[in-house]
Amino acid sequence: MAAGKADLLRGTLDMLILKTLTLQPMHGLGISRRIEQVTEGAFTVKPGSLFPALQRLEQEGWIKGAWGESENNRRAKYYQLTKAGRRRLGEEKKNWTQVVLAITRVLEAT
Amino acid sequence: MPAYRRFVSTLRSLFRKTALDSELDRELQSHVEMLTEEKVSAGMTKTEARRAALLELGGMAQVKEEVRARRLGATLDTWLQDIRYAFRTLRNNLGFTVVALLILSLGIGATTSLFSTIHSVLLRGVPFEQPERLVIGQKTIEGRASWVSRVDYYDFHELNQSFEQLAAMTDFTVQRTVTGGPRPELVQVGYVTWNVFPALRVLPVAGRGFTRDDEVDGANQFVVISYGYWQSRFGGATQAIGSTLPLDGVPRTVIGVLPPDFRFLIDADAWSLVDRNGPFDLRRDSHSHIVIGRLKPGVTFAQAQQEVSTIARGLADEYPVTNTGKGMRLTRMQSFMVRSVRTSLLLLLATSVLVLIVACANVAGLMLARSEQRRTEMAMRAALGAARKRLVRQLLTESVILTVTAGMLGVGLAYAMQGVSAQLLPTGELGIERPAINALALGFALFVAVTTGLLIGVIPALRGTNLQPGQQLRSGKHATIGMRSARLRSGLVVLQVATTVVLLIGSGLLIRSFAELSSVELGFDDHNLITGQLQIQGTTYPTPEEQRQFYSSLLQEVETIPGVVSATLSSKLPIRARWQDWPVYPVDEPPATDLEAPMAMVRWVSPGYFRTMGIPLTGGRDFSVTDVDGAAYVTILSERAVQRVFLDEDPIGQAVRIGWDERNYYVIGVAADARINTLDGAPDAAAYMSTTQVGATRLQIAVRTTIDPAQLVSPIEDLLQRKDPHAVFSWPATMESVVDDELAGPRIITVSLSLFSGLALLLAAIGLYGVLAYHVGQRINEFGIRLAMGASAANLLGMVLRRGLLLVAIGLLVGIAAAYPGTLLIRQLLFETQTLDIASYVAAAVFLGFVGAVACLLPAWRATRVDVVEVLRIE
Repeated sequence: MAAGKADLLRGTLDMLILKTLTLQPMHGLGISRRIEQVTEGAFTVKPGSLFPALQRLEQEGWIKGAWGESENNRRAKYYQLTKAGRRRLGEEKKNWTQVVLAITRVLEAT
Repeated sequence: MPAYRRFVSTLRSLFRKTALDSELDRELQSHVEMLTEEKVSAGMTKTEARRAALLELGGMAQVKEEVRARRLGATLDTWLQDIRYAFRTLRNNLGFTVVALLILSLGIGATTSLFSTIHSVLLRGVPFEQPERLVIGQKTIEGRASWVSRVDYYDFHELNQSFEQLAAMTDFTVQRTVTGGPRPELVQVGYVTWNVFPALRVLPVAGRGFTRDDEVDGANQFVVISYGYWQSRFGGATQAIGSTLPLDGVPRTVIGVLPPDFRFLIDADAWSLVDRNGPFDLRRDSHSHIVIGRLKPGVTFAQAQQEVSTIARGLADEYPVTNTGKGMRLTRMQSFMVRSVRTSLLLLLATSVLVLIVACANVAGLMLARSEQRRTEMAMRAALGAARKRLVRQLLTESVILTVTAGMLGVGLAYAMQGVSAQLLPTGELGIERPAINALALGFALFVAVTTGLLIGVIPALRGTNLQPGQQLRSGKHATIGMRSARLRSGLVVLQVATTVVLLIGSGLLIRSFAELSSVELGFDDHNLITGQLQIQGTTYPTPEEQRQFYSSLLQEVETIPGVVSATLSSKLPIRARWQDWPVYPVDEPPATDLEAPMAMVRWVSPGYFRTMGIPLTGGRDFSVTDVDGAAYVTILSERAVQRVFLDEDPIGQAVRIGWDERNYYVIGVAADARINTLDGAPDAAAYMSTTQVGATRLQIAVRTTIDPAQLVSPIEDLLQRKDPHAVFSWPATMESVVDDELAGPRIITVSLSLFSGLALLLAAIGLYGVLAYHVGQRINEFGIRLAMGASAANLLGMVLRRGLLLVAIGLLVGIAAAYPGTLLIRQLLFETQTLDIASYVAAAVFLGFVGAVACLLPAWRATRVDVVEVLRIE
């Protein structure tokens, strides 16, 4: 079902964004480039999903946006992980590990 | 996330929408710029880079929309948008809006007003602690509930296990004269057992209440007074407690004052103990009390009823002569208090709901017509990407806004009418104390408004959005109008007509009943008759002889007042005072038990009573001054009494026993039947006795006049004042007003129902007109062509009229079929009127047919005025 897939992707994207922000505050483009880099291009994050996700994470209070200067002296909105966000990331990681473990078991079952 | 944060975020996205939007704008802008830079560094030209960046973003507007939709409160925002849009459309269609608002607010206003009245009258609790445990007990004989004998009550009191308190009181007051003040005054005295106030859990605000010992001592020496009387006679002074209040010359001690808001069954100024020595019901077959019980915790109503029934059967075994067939019926106090008005109020509520249905059907018809006109608009919006769900929601928002606005207007209306409705509507014995429109009534109005909004909106919304945009837009203005929609609107008109027919028939029946009641043959002449209550003091006139002398000389003097034809006295004047039905039987045929004896209302009257009252004597002679105490005791029977007692044999000269009087009464005359007790009952059997043979301190006076009877009040007062300053003349009223007061209740119901029916009729007529006018509008081209082809105006008129009258006819049939079961509900309100009263049915049908025809005529006439040339040119 389409909705289920979208939910899963969205959930994953949230986790990836939160993880990315543990290093340092980043702007939207930075986040998507970073994810592309780390996954070696396996995931490309389109602005159409990135910005709504940022919007939601900010409203949930897991990240905080503030205007700052970019490397090329451009004004950009930088997102920073909050304490709640860090906790959330921990939960998501734990969840993810369980899901991966469970799926692996199913797949490896003979 | 904490709830408050979510709430703040929601508010922020609602109220700082522009700020958030511009921030998003800037963010996306900087995103694009950075992307461009990235691509320039990768070797693209600036233009190429920007193009690629925008492509990668995938449409600025789309991203923004995505983000907005993801915001908290996005749904709310859409609602607000819908609401703004709805207001705009409604404002742009001011005519439609005003008409719909008017119709709906009348409907909702009427329903709310009645609901709040019913809530405050029928649903409000009895104003005592734990009212659910309070019951009223009444004696039953052959299923008819009535008063309880005090002697029986004491047995119920001793034997029952179900009640915390079982008390008894009179539900009428007795007038006693209080002397010792500046002027003698009449006060209303109620009689209670000591535990009435404890049963109700009413505590005196000053002094103490009665105790069991007060009753056992037997000395009927204490009174508890009402708060009002405490204020008026004692100025609220604490010295009142312990002071003496002479009632009819017998000194009583005031021991307590009841709370100001205490009101229960009767308006008494003072409460006295009814003790084992009197003054009422010295025997088991004399009944003057009602029983008040407070159930013990854990005892159910059914258990208590069962127990009192068992006790009643036991009493019947023990005292077969007086108690055979006597039962005791318990009623919850709440239902007892509203028993007289429940039917009327529920009838009115049902009526107003029917009017609301007519109003809803009406506006639904309007909305349906409008949704047909808006199909192009809807198609356009659908083509631009609006989902059907969204369109339906939009249309429903519109109808709910319409009805909620109407609801607010309606509540305003109900509020404005509140004073009027409190006076107009029957309120029962609990009365209305608080403002009737409270939170619950407001909630009710809101509920009704939203429900009607959804109800009238849902069909037009579904139908109006069920479209293929392409086809709709291609065909433009001449969109195919669904036959189903037209049929639906016709169905709504039929519904309105049918509902209106039901209401019209109902009011027809009530009007007939009211006409019957107000033209009832009284049996006496109520014109030019002034009546009042007379009271003289037993201390001034200690012997019956002195009392008789006072009264007979008073009558003579009253008759000398200019404008007076004659004056007479009676223990109870017709309608003004009631009951006192006693057994009457021939001396030589005593009945086995009192219950089997013929009953008649007993009245003591002065000689000349029948002439003054206009009651014809049909046989024998009138009382005369020579019928004195000690001479043969005489009575005059009414024709009905003669029928009952002597089975129509000649009664003159026969001896009868009346009540429990050990004397023989010889029948000297026969009087025509008259409604001396109630207006709506059949004329009662009556046994008249002469005031010349008894003594009395309290009598009612009736004075026949040649001039306006109200003008005689002060001459009579003056005369009495001169004759005896301690005598009291009170509660003067013309006999016409006494009779008229009896009609007030039925009149209110009749007038209200007629008003509601009129409203429904008006709405139905508007609905019919609307459908036909629309119909004519749709077929205007066809009519033009028909005219061009040689059809006459009469042909077209007939076509349209036929269609309209067909709807009226179907509605009539449905309505008449529905009316019969409906009228069964009002059967008990009808007086000498059959529920299948042909005249009411015919009148309703004719009336509605006529109004329907008028409503059809205007659109039909318009059909004949079609400009042929204009129509053909458009074609």
